[in-house]
Order: sequence, then C-alpha cells, then structure tokens
Amino acid sequence: MGIPNGPRTWAESKKKRIDTLAASAGRSGRGEGAGDGPGGPATGEAGALKGAEGVSLLAAAWRRLRRNAVFLIGAAIVLVFVALAIIAPWIAPHDPAGRILVDQIRPSNPIPQPQPGFPLGGDSSGRDLLSRLLVGARQTLFVGVMATLGGLSGGVLLGTLAGAFGGPIDSLIMRIVDVMLSIPALLMAFTIAAMFAKPTQWTVIMAIAIVQVPIFARLLRGSMLAQRRSDHVLAARALGVKQAPIVIRHMLPNSFGPVIVQATLVIAGAIIDAAALSFLGLGNPDDRSPEWGQMLGKAQEFFNTFPHLAMWPAACIIVVALGFTLMGESLREALDPKSQR
Amino acid sequence: MSEPTSASPAAEPGTRPGDSPVTSGAEDVLVEVRDLKVHFPIRRGFLRRTTGHVKAVDGVDLTIHRGNTYGLVGESGCGKSTFGRAVLQLEQVTAGQVMLDGIDLATLSGEALRRQRRHMQMVFQDPLGSLDPRQSVESLLLEGMKAHSMTGDANQARARLRELLSAVGLPMSALNRYPHEFSGGQRQRIGIARALSVEPQLIIADEPVSALDVSVQAQVINLLEDLQRELGLTYLVIAHDLAVVRHISDQVGVMYLGSIVEEADADELYSRPLHPYTRALMSAAPVPDPEVEGRREQILLSGDLPSPADPPVGCRFHTRCPWKQDTLCATSRPTLLPVNLPDVPAAHKVACHWADEIERGVIKPSSSRQAEGPQTGQIPE
Amino acid sequence: MGRPQSVPRRTAQAAGEPMLRVEDLSIKFVRRGQEPTIAVDSISFDVQAGQTVGLVGESGCGKSVTALAIMGLLPPRGNRVEGEIHFDGTDLLSLSDKQMRDRRGQELAMVFQDPLSSLNPVVPLGVQVCEVLERHKGMRHGAARRRSAELLDKVGVPDPTRRLDEYPHQLSGGMRQRALIAMALACEPRLLIADEPTTALDVTIQAQILALLKELVTESGTALVMITHDLGVVAGLCDQVNVLYGGRIVERADRFELFARPRHPYTNGLLASIPRLNSPRGQRLKPVPGSVADNIPWQVGCAFSPRCGAASELCRAEAPHLERDEGGAGHEIRCHHPVGRPSESADDARSAQDE
Repeated sequence: MGIPNGPRTWAESKKKRIDTLAASAGRSGRGEGAGDGPGGPATGEAGALKGAEGVSLLAAAWRRLRRNAVFLIGAAIVLVFVALAIIAPWIAPHDPAGRILVDQIRPSNPIPQPQPGFPLGGDSSGRDLLSRLLVGARQTLFVGVMATLGGLSGGVLLGTLAGAFGGPIDSLIMRIVDVMLSIPALLMAFTIAAMFAKPTQWTVIMAIAIVQVPIFARLLRGSMLAQRRSDHVLAARALGVKQAPIVIRHMLPNSFGPVIVQATLVIAGAIIDAAALSFLGLGNPDDRSPEWGQMLGKAQEFFNTFPHLAMWPAACIIVVALGFTLMGESLREALDPKSQR
Repeated sequence: MSEPTSASPAAEPGTRPGDSPVTSGAEDVLVEVRDLKVHFPIRRGFLRRTTGHVKAVDGVDLTIHRGNTYGLVGESGCGKSTFGRAVLQLEQVTAGQVMLDGIDLATLSGEALRRQRRHMQMVFQDPLGSLDPRQSVESLLLEGMKAHSMTGDANQARARLRELLSAVGLPMSALNRYPHEFSGGQRQRIGIARALSVEPQLIIADEPVSALDVSVQAQVINLLEDLQRELGLTYLVIAHDLAVVRHISDQVGVMYLGSIVEEADADELYSRPLHPYTRALMSAAPVPDPEVEGRREQILLSGDLPSPADPPVGCRFHTRCPWKQDTLCATSRPTLLPVNLPDVPAAHKVACHWADEIERGVIKPSSSRQAEGPQTGQIPE
Repeated sequence: MGRPQSVPRRTAQAAGEPMLRVEDLSIKFVRRGQEPTIAVDSISFDVQAGQTVGLVGESGCGKSVTALAIMGLLPPRGNRVEGEIHFDGTDLLSLSDKQMRDRRGQELAMVFQDPLSSLNPVVPLGVQVCEVLERHKGMRHGAARRRSAELLDKVGVPDPTRRLDEYPHQLSGGMRQRALIAMALACEPRLLIADEPTTALDVTIQAQILALLKELVTESGTALVMITHDLGVVAGLCDQVNVLYGGRIVERADRFELFARPRHPYTNGLLASIPRLNSPRGQRLKPVPGSVADNIPWQVGCAFSPRCGAASELCRAEAPHLERDEGGAGHEIRCHHPVGRPSESADDARSAQDE
C-alpha cells in the first residue's frame, strides 16, 4: 500500500516470517509470533494464547472488508450518492421544481438543450435536469432504504417466530410466505400500490416492503432452524438458559449474516422496483419533488429524439444499484464462515 | 467449585478417584435410569404420517454412583449419544425414568426442568461447534450462572471466572477472546469450564476427546480426572474409543443397537469380556504395539449395524454374531443379567443367552469368521 | 487381485530402485500478498513393492498434502511443489497433466478418508466402478460390469451384482469404503495411497478394512502408503513408519524398532500419552503439552521445541537434521537430544525419565 519500501530491520522481517510460518501450522494467520523467543518460558500444558487481544468474528470480517477492493468501490459509490443526496438542496444550481427554461420550449424543440449554467439541459417542463437528478437522489435512496428496512423488519419478525418456535407456527407462517412468493414480486407491488386511491411515496415504500417480507422471512427462518439444531444452542439449553435469551443472544446473531447481505442486495432491487412503479405512474405523482424512476417515466415519450433525458436517471439507478450490489457481495464473502480461517 | 481451586490442577499426578471409591451404598446413587426409551418417528409423504419409529434407545437401565465415572462404549448409530441427551432431557423421552438425586427428570418440564439443569451438564464432541462463535469466553462462562442467578456482584463474578479458568488451565486473558482464537484443546477446556460454571453434580461427556489431536487428548483426559477428584463430580463418558473409556471409567457399559449388552467394572470387563460383541470390539481395537498386534486373535464381524428402525427379532446381535446358535438367539431377546460362572462378580452383567457356555468353551465360534495374526486377516463374507 | 502372474515381492532384494522414491519434496502454499506457508519441508522416503509405509502425524503435519502431491492432485494454483517424486524411474512432477491422468487409477490409486464425498452421489456405484475399467483398461461395458461385480465381491461387499445398481447413499460407511477400495484396485495399481481410510469408520469395520488392505499387500505385491494419525493402525500394518511433525520427518524406523525404542521426544510423548487397553488402570497419562499452534518454524529452530521437555537453547536456535541413529538398524531421528541416550545436559535427563 502506501508504506515506503525501505529497508526493514532484521527483527521486523524475522517476526513477519515467523507470523506467516506459524500460520502454516494450521492456525489462523493472525498469530502474533509463535514461541517466546530464545530462552523464553515454555508454554503451559494448554498451550500459549495467540494474538494480542480478542477479535470477534465481526471485527475480523471488518478487517477483511477494509482491504477488499470490491467492497471499497461499492461503499465509495454508495457514500458519494448518499452524500450528494444529503447536500443536494444546497449544491443544486437551480430550483428542481422551477420551470426556468420554459420559454425555450417550442413545438419544434420540446426539450431545452444543454447550455451555460445548465450542463445537462432541461426537461419537457423546462426544469434543470442536473438539479432534478441531484435532488432526485434523496427520494430514490430514501424509498429504497425505507422499503428495505420495512421488509427486513417484517421478515425478521416472521422468520424469528417461525425459526424459534417451529411446529404449527412455523408451518402457518411458511405457508403464507409460500403464497406470497408464488406471485411475481413486481406484479404484487403493482397490485398493492394500486390499492391505494392516492399514490404517495409512502404507498410505494409500503408496496415494496411487503413484497420483500417473504424473502427475508424465509432466509432467516432457514438459518434459524440450522442454528436450532447446532451444538452451541443445545449447550445453552443444557445450561438452563431460557428460551428468549437463546433466541436473541445465540440464534439471531448467528443467523443474521445472510440477512444483512440480502438486505444490501435488496436495496438495489428496491430502487429499481420503485423506479418501475413511478415509471408506470403508481409512484408519487407530485413531480415537483423529483425521483429517478419518475423522471425516467416522463422521458419515455422523447426516447427516440432526446435519449439523454432517459439515460441520465437510468445511469444513476444502475450505478447506485451496482454500488449496493458490490457491497453486498463482498459482505457475503467476508461473513462466510468458510473464509474465517 | 464453591471452594477456590488452587492453581493448575494438572500440576501434580495423583491417584484417580476410582482407587478409593466412595462406598457405593444405595444412598450414594446419583443417577438411576430405568427402562429408558427414545423412539424417533419416521414421517413420510405429504401428510407427514408416521410410518414407523427409529428405536435409538430401546430400554436402557443404568445406575451411576456419586463420584464415579460410567463409561458407555459403542459404535456409531448404537444410540449412545441419544441416550446421553435423553438423560439430560435434551431429547424427548418416549418412556422410562431418569432419576437424578431422587427426582424423576422425565416427568419435569418447563421452568421446573430448567432449574434442574444446574445439576447436570454436558461436554460436547466438537469443541468449536458447541461454543457460540459470537460470544466471548467471558459471556459464554457467565451465561449459565446468570440463568441460575449465581453471579452475585461484579467482584464475585470476576472471582468465579478466575477460579473456573484456573481450574481448566487457561489464563485470565482468555476472557475477552472468542472461540475461534483458540486451539482445539483449549476450546475443549472452555467447554469444560462452561459446564462447571453452574456447579453441576453430573457431567455427561459425549466423545470429549475424539475431535482432538492425539497429543492433546491426554491433556483433556487428565483434566477431567483432576476435576472429578477435586470437585467430587460424577461422569457419564460416552465414547467409541475403548482405551479412553477403560482409562477413565469405574464402570463400563457396552451398547449395541439401542440397548446395553454388557456391563461390569472397567477392569473386569476388559480382562474378561463375556458378550460376543464386546469380545469382537476388544479384538478389533488397534493397539499401538506391534508385538501385541502380531500376536492377537481378531474376531472379524461380518456385515454392518442393522437399521435401528427395523432391529432384528430376538438378540439384536445375532445377525453378526460368530457364536450364534440355532435356538433362542433369533427368537428371544436376552436381558441384562449376571452370569452363572464362578469368580465372575454379580456386578458383571451380560445380555446373551449363551454367555457362560461361550466362556467355558462349550460353544465355539463359526471358524470361518475368525482370523489369527495379521498375515491371515480374512475378508468376511 | 486375481492377477495370474503375481508381481514378485521385491522387498527382500533391497537392492535396485524402489518403486516410489520421494526426494526433497517441499510444498508451499502461495497466496497473493502473503509470504508462502510451508506445508511440507524437504521430505524424502522410499517405498518398495509389497511394502507398507506409514506417514504418521497430527493435523497440519503435511501428511495428506504429501499424498495429494504424489497423486498429482494438488490444485495447480496456489501451490509450489519442489523436489522429485520418482515412480518406477519417472519423475511424476515432470509429467504433463494428461500423462499423470493416465497413470492415476492405472498405476497409482488413492483411497480417501470420507467415502461418501469421494463417490458421486447421483451415479450408481456400478457405473462409477465400470467407468474406471472402461477408461483405463478399455473394457467393453459388459465385461467391465462383470469385473466390477468381481471386484466388489473381492473386497467383501455382499451381493455385489445388486449393489452395482445402488447409489452411494444406500450403502453403509464400511460398504462405501470397500467400494472405494474396489475402485482403487480396479486397474491393479502398483501403488495405493490410503489417506486415513478408517478414521470415519467404527472399530469393527476398521478391523475389516485393515485386514483387507493387509491381504492386498501380501497377495499382490502392491505398495501401500498408509496415512494416519492412529498409532494403533500403524502398529498393526506398516513395515516402515515415518513420523511427521510440522512438515518434516522427525523419526523413521521399522515398526518394531519404533514402538520398542522411540527416540524422538514427540514420538515418545505420543506413545506415552495414549491410554492403552492392555495397561494397568489408574495410571496417569503423560500428555504432550501445548498444541501444534505453539510450533516455531523449522527455519528458526526445532518446531517441536516449545512443547518439548528436553528442549535446550540449541533446539530453539538451530533445527536438527534427520540423522541415522547409531544404535538402531535403519533408525533415523531429527533431534538434538533424543530420548534414551546418556544425557548431556540437565534438560536431557528430564526426558530420559519419561522412558
């Protein structure tokens, strides 16, 4: 990395070598150097402890993530968009709802061209495209994250109930989940969104969240069941630990890894679904507060003549979704128990 | 564990508790299992109808005296692990009694059973799998104490943790570490410390050393023996390794297909195995001594363990027994009884119709199944 | 093996090239951004036809990796294999993948620890055995099937013709291991490598399998490399025993010599630490302290020294060489302070007491 490649002292290089060689003896590579040095005290019967301090699995995963280029790229993309979304009202060059360029619109030229002060030009209502993209990041990310959080909470609740109790409760919950999963997700989201008389951003969030509930519920229930049969849960039962702490302290934390990974992947899907709902007119109809999916929908009639109008919001959606996906995939890798050693 | 234990118990070699046994009067019985059965339903089809039962444990009687070690040997699938869990009420018991200190655990449930768990603990085969990977050693050790309101204030808890760790030979710096940071033997020590944390009377150790490296196994065996001596613990050790069981146990039971086929004091059983299965098991165990290996007679059993879902009628071992007779064996199931032979103690019980005839040499094994020496190892048909 | 012209046993005529000669075999695991880890560190050993050679050690000692290297089964990426593996005069390491594939199964065969995961679960057993025969022996299907049944019968699988149509999960563990051995024997290999073949099996089944392997070696002159951690298995089976520790051979002797006079403190410690069926009860075990995690690298000193009662300054500063022991016939040890020699220092005396 950035470390100057100067001469290392003998002690340093020797220690490094010992570290890696100690790892070859079948132990984790985090050893802090085997042996106590020449003449050091012999180890106790149980053997010496390795490393300086206790490192939890999460901390170890974080250490790996910090050095994972894929994760860093994904996180950077997401962070940039989140930052832009937060400061959008202050950095947007113009009012995203202001029809500043409306006087340039003619029947022969319905879309204002890029010009000084308006690098991306305007939309069909004469509003600044760049400002709308920037401010639109807020709505879009908000909907994606809120919908996923909603789906996650519902799914975790159902999955925990099913996985912790098993038996008839499990069967009942899982049959409901099966029914929900048998309906195509987007179709169900449309149906739910259409049930509300007046679409708002909250109806979009609700529709997408409900669609996600079964995904999380089934995933969590699966790993909860595996945990239920594990030796360490049996050990806790044998100790006389009550049911609730067993579920909360042992089963849930050990089942949560795949759920977190799924959540980051699902955010990307939620953003795309929200865009689809907006595109079909089931999103927030108030186009004074912009949103990428809705911008895409508005752009469709000009797609042949002014493709840039659709390309910008589409590109934003794709890049943000990619950022979350990269994060999710590298998280999956880092949390995989097989990569622990 | 209420008295602080001094330093490392592994320090001085000593006699084992079996050398000066707590007199085994009737009042000293800690565990008494009567006709324990654990049957798992086999469910098939869409409606999950029960189509049969796997008779994992099918009528086991067993008594363990306080301060003693009972060793249960058998091969995989014989039901020994299920038996251990059933004693601890971690499996649904189908029938029978499990008396611990006069209380029938099989009749308890819910909170009453949970409170009893303090008195009985388990040490697992897989030391890593049995420790929650996301809990530090400190919280692993405190968990059971909290569940039984035994922690007291922070200082008392700290002192107790120190005591537990020193009892199993780990430094205090282990407390804020996580299971994956330890070697296999150290993890098993943590598992033992956790079992000790609630001051149990009975510890059931299911294959406590079989997942460990050979050079580390002896450390854990010695530790278990030291702890027993210091704390007056009672053990039920479940293992497939005959030498380990012999080493650690006062009394040994041999299990085959859900029931105990022979039971005796450890020395007695190993010097005079009476049941054909025990004989085969002993003769098959490899001994790390080429001289012995070269000399001994091996009884090679034919075939495999029958399915516990459909055990053979009559004696369960008759399908593989080299001494099988035409009468009784295939029709009547023998019970565990003392044998009628001079100088065999009454505590030596066998479930075999022909045990004394076989021992007296009246009945010979079917010769094709016996091999002598290493050079003539026969392949069973 | 039903082979009419049984290979003459060459064990007696010690002269001439051994069937397998491993020389200075080193295997390093190379990962990007990390210094290579040494799994096997210049191991050398010979195997004669009809001889059983044991590689004994604990997890992480490099025994399984050695076996995979001989078979050419190490994944090509991430490994650096150095040294020579001569089989019948050819250096296996210099062969191409294709040449190696032809030899595997034909002349070299391997039996693994876990019989279930070594068999393809969705293909009937018969097809899997026949495949080997068809590929290497060019047999037609009918002949291969008949031969497969013979082989299964030979290794003690009852009712072999019916078993050919069964899937691996329908067989018990012992039967699966027999089936694997049958597959390994299908082409009458001259060298069989068995990696913990009985570890997953029960004692009574283990006895059956060991007897089968023993018979195989005596009858057909196949050379057997037995990889195990179980000293009991070694005692009954191996002619020559190599004890591995931390990737190097620390002691080598024939089995009677090794068990009667273990010279390396590690071997000695292992033998003292295992409970015996035939020893008087109540004897306290003498464990080897620590675990392999305490090892120091061989480049610094003796890897076993942190766990060794006899270790001195010298042991921690300089790794000993594998040297011929003056007393024993063909006994080799890698130790500065072997057990059972008149002591040179106070440290040494301690280990001598363990005898």
